[in-house]
Amino acid sequence: MRWGPVGEVTCLEALENLYPYLDGELTQELEAAVRRHLATCARCFPHFELERAFLRFLQARTRAQAAPVHLKERVFQAIFLRPGDPPGQ
Amino acid sequence: MFLSVEDRRHAFEAEALPHLDSVYRVALRLARDATQAEDLMQETMLKAFRAWHQYQPGTNVRAWLLTILRNTFINEYRRRQNRPEVVDVAAIDDFSLSPLVEEADPAGRFFDQIVDETVLRAIDALPEEFRETLVLSDVEGLSYGEIAAITEVPLGTVKSRLFRARKALQGQLYGYAVEMGYIKRRSA
Repeated sequence: MRWGPVGEVTCLEALENLYPYLDGELTQELEAAVRRHLATCARCFPHFELERAFLRFLQARTRAQAAPVHLKERVFQAIFLRPGDPPGQ
Repeated sequence: MFLSVEDRRHAFEAEALPHLDSVYRVALRLARDATQAEDLMQETMLKAFRAWHQYQPGTNVRAWLLTILRNTFINEYRRRQNRPEVVDVAAIDDFSLSPLVEEADPAGRFFDQIVDETVLRAIDALPEEFRETLVLSDVEGLSYGEIAAITEVPLGTVKSRLFRARKALQGQLYGYAVEMGYIKRRSA
């Protein structure tokens, strides 16, 4: 990777690391460099914020779904009340 | 390690069963059919219970369950799939949301008007490898490393699949929001 001044990233490098940055997957050094870039770059900052809003929205819309109660009971019975078990246990 | 049947049941109940919702959500997105997802979840949990001695205590039990789920789906359910995937991910590589919304809605508030069901349908339209990567990351919150292990691909592949899956989803949802009048299409 090409680097500008030590520890600094360009817009292109920031964009290449957009999702890993938002997903918390960068090394500490690179994460700090991207954060510094965003603090001073009027082009990248709103772009990152829009993507952050999108990921929050995506999580909010998809994480609430729970297994239906009848299915949980089915699974419990399949595992814990196997044939041969005395009833009532 | 030898466990009595009772101990095994207790351990399984305490450690594996709290992840039933997670297993169900992923099963639903893989199978894209409620009945199949229910069977897939039950089978996964039965297999996990029988293989409980192979689980290493202290490791990520949810990732272990989701690996069993994915393998069960691929081996026994995938060929029964008859719903077409409609999104051409390759065609959407260049999609960029920012320029489209920077005038009308730079913070992406139009997202708030899109309901759960629409988002889940949009995910279901993604090709399988993109769908599973996105679900494991954005729905279940697993790390790139965990997803790479579950889906048996290199880390770089997880990154690029996730990138393209999110772009494809944005493209679909933006199109939907324009159609519904939640945001004005950017004038050319």
